[in-house]
Amino acid sequence: MNSKMLQYVLKRVLLALLTIWIVITVTFFVMHAVPGGPFIGEKAISKEAQAALEAKYGLDKPLMEQYTTYLKDIVTRFDFGPSLKQRGRMVTDIIADGMRTSAKLGVIAACIAAFIGIVLGAVAALRRNTVLDKTIMVITTAFVSMPSFIMGSLLLVLFSVTLKWVPANGASAGGLILPVITLALYPMAYITRLTRSSMLDVLGQDYIRTARAKGVSRRRIIFGHALKNSLIPVITYFGPMLAYITTGSMVVEQIFAVPGIGRQFVSSITNRDYTMIMGTTIFLATMIVIMNLVSDLLYKVVDPRIEFE
Amino acid sequence: MKKLLSLVLALSMVLSCAALSYAEGEETSIAVSIASEPDTLDPALNSAVDGATLIAHLFSGLSTWAQDENGNLVIVPDQAVELPAAVINEDGTATYTYTLADGLTWSDGKPLTAADYVFAWKRAASEALAADYGYMFEVVKGYPDDLAVEATDDKTLVVTLNNDVSYWNELLAFPTYLPVREDVVANEAWATDPATYICNGPYIMSEWAHNSKIVLTKNPAYAKADGIKMDKIEFYLSDDANNMLSNFKNGDWLLIDDVPTAEIATLKAEYPTEFVVAGQIGTYYVCWNVNADILPADTTLTGVEAENARAEIRNAIALLFDRNYIVREIGQAGQVPASSFVAMGMTDADGSEFYKNAGSADFTGYYDVSEEAYESNWASAVETLKKYYAFDEATQQFTNFPTMEYLYNTSEGHKAIGEYLASALAGIGITMNLTNQEWATFLNTRKDGDYTIARNGWLADYNDPISFLDMWVSASGNNDVQFGKDAHKDIAAYSIDLTDLGIDVKVENGTWAQTYDVIINLVKKCTDKDTRYKLMHRAEDLLMSTGAIVPLYFYTDIYMIDDSVEGFFSNPLGYKYFMYCTVNK
Repeated sequence: MNSKMLQYVLKRVLLALLTIWIVITVTFFVMHAVPGGPFIGEKAISKEAQAALEAKYGLDKPLMEQYTTYLKDIVTRFDFGPSLKQRGRMVTDIIADGMRTSAKLGVIAACIAAFIGIVLGAVAALRRNTVLDKTIMVITTAFVSMPSFIMGSLLLVLFSVTLKWVPANGASAGGLILPVITLALYPMAYITRLTRSSMLDVLGQDYIRTARAKGVSRRRIIFGHALKNSLIPVITYFGPMLAYITTGSMVVEQIFAVPGIGRQFVSSITNRDYTMIMGTTIFLATMIVIMNLVSDLLYKVVDPRIEFE
Repeated sequence: MKKLLSLVLALSMVLSCAALSYAEGEETSIAVSIASEPDTLDPALNSAVDGATLIAHLFSGLSTWAQDENGNLVIVPDQAVELPAAVINEDGTATYTYTLADGLTWSDGKPLTAADYVFAWKRAASEALAADYGYMFEVVKGYPDDLAVEATDDKTLVVTLNNDVSYWNELLAFPTYLPVREDVVANEAWATDPATYICNGPYIMSEWAHNSKIVLTKNPAYAKADGIKMDKIEFYLSDDANNMLSNFKNGDWLLIDDVPTAEIATLKAEYPTEFVVAGQIGTYYVCWNVNADILPADTTLTGVEAENARAEIRNAIALLFDRNYIVREIGQAGQVPASSFVAMGMTDADGSEFYKNAGSADFTGYYDVSEEAYESNWASAVETLKKYYAFDEATQQFTNFPTMEYLYNTSEGHKAIGEYLASALAGIGITMNLTNQEWATFLNTRKDGDYTIARNGWLADYNDPISFLDMWVSASGNNDVQFGKDAHKDIAAYSIDLTDLGIDVKVENGTWAQTYDVIINLVKKCTDKDTRYKLMHRAEDLLMSTGAIVPLYFYTDIYMIDDSVEGFFSNPLGYKYFMYCTVNK
């Protein structure tokens, strides 16, 4: 790593920290401004009990003080506090629990999507305007335009309810197969289309023509020159996609009853579970910032001509 | 790149194969889904029905729910040798003395003593714990921080109540009254991990995959372990009714406690024996904000007169709604049209249904909600409203009824009911717009009285009408109607006369605090069963006279259970019991 790159990384990390700080601040104050609170339920508890709970979790203090305490706790001790709703559990434990499932699902789905997507995209580009190309394009268009709740429900009805091949819930063995497929289909189709157009672009470049003219084998042209260079847009897409897909898809987790982190995002907000809202938001923001940084750095690996500034 | 790709492919194949392998067990087991991840499984902190179901399998208290030989639900002694009657003391307080059965132990083998009960009860009632259901100990002398409960030896528990209460044995079976051990709960996270979850009931928790499933296995140390038929119960944690239904249809889950509303009609036809509608003690109703003005803008009425007019108007509007239509076309789950607030399922002093004795002698409840009465109800409502609002005979519409907002929490079912109510009112020219709010915001708005008319519902915590009636005293946190608050505090529009019940209370033109609050206080202190129930009817009479509560229907609990399951039952509070189940497949 040269000094220019180091400088670049440093700059980006600082920028990332600033971004996360802004996310924390905005979320914190917006969250407290929304009506309702963590201890309001259908059946009211006494004022004394409410006060006791607020004191226990420090919610009786002035908002500014709560904010500074919160920041101090996460910076100095990496302490995100206890969940206000799931009594007795720590926010970090809940996130870690959910992430184990979501990350497993997401990584498998992302890998399948990338592998199949790149292969199909390359094949379509190389066999341009053939029946094969057109078939691939039609299918991928369908997958890109079909929302995951429809795709998920269709797969569920077909493979779980009618054929009974796999369980319909993520808690049972084999129950993650359908969610993985549902999660993978959209990015797979998208990557196929990205790879195809980018590859077509690269195949029309002068250096490919030169390589062909001097008799380089077709295999070497494709794998040595064309594919590598056509992956830049795919990489741009892959980083943030990996961040989103591994931090849980609410819809897919809901349909298949998968114990992932996605459902926690939503339920923490409806429950006004302040510490969980903060924890999950910070976590998601951090993941996205990191993945963006990683994919920017990957450009350099793929294309040494790219300069960091 | 090629290497990377092949690695990725290999990895994904290995992982998906690993996920494919099925595990098989040999003991008797049942897989069910009643709800999503419980907020807590600490018996004192729990306030949810699904949590209570799990806790009922994990803990054992002085009494418990059981089915007798005729299939009727009864309260029977569990850890107590028997459930004796109270000894009434000179000051009217009631003392119960319990003897614990021999050889009781915790799931880690340590002996369970009466002192554990003393600790658990004092903890659950304390303000420091701030449990949702801490008030369940309100009946015990010394509540909240000095409960009159003591262990006179390892096996004897003595508790004194402010006065004898008829539902005391039932309270003993309630989760809040279950024992926990001091050294166990000292760890605040004890109830989140099977390793630290020390219990004393028919089952122990052997696995809790958070947000995924909870597995209970039979507790060999449980005193009555021989009677427990099911070895293992898997509770899958799902909050999606569609997903539950898929798992039921493919045979993986044998009981599901929720079904998609849109599917109810189909399921009833498709699964006649497996789609079950059970009773549940609860009322779905509409509440008015007693302080919201609904009189025409140019009214000259003020104070008591205005409140009396509003009460008459609200009671008239209650007649405009066709409850039979609501339960038949919208609810679709066997709900019962309601015209009183205390729900069906509550028993009266003589064992009959409380709601059948409420209101008028000519029909059930405070107005006739039978199919035949609807037309005359409508006509009489219009006549009443004509006294206060301008009516255009040509169009049959009221022209100066102020526009209202109907507040409900976001849900398809509540929306459908709101739309029906609005359309009924639109028929006579009253405009009611619908406003929906997300749950926590909605609760806040309703509690603060920041609305005119809102959707509401109440499920009983125990089988006694007081659990429906004491929520409307001025100081109650559940008093969404705002009785006795703000402007209504000084409205002296209510009269009560209890002298015919032998109670020296007669108030004419009193405020809410001087009337309703007084009756509820008397109910809580009353030791004579007959008088107590009569007082509760009086309280409901007064409540319903305000028109601020518009009951629509009594709730039912719908669930689906596979035909192969035998020995299952659920109690009136909706707790489901799987310990005596067998699966014949």
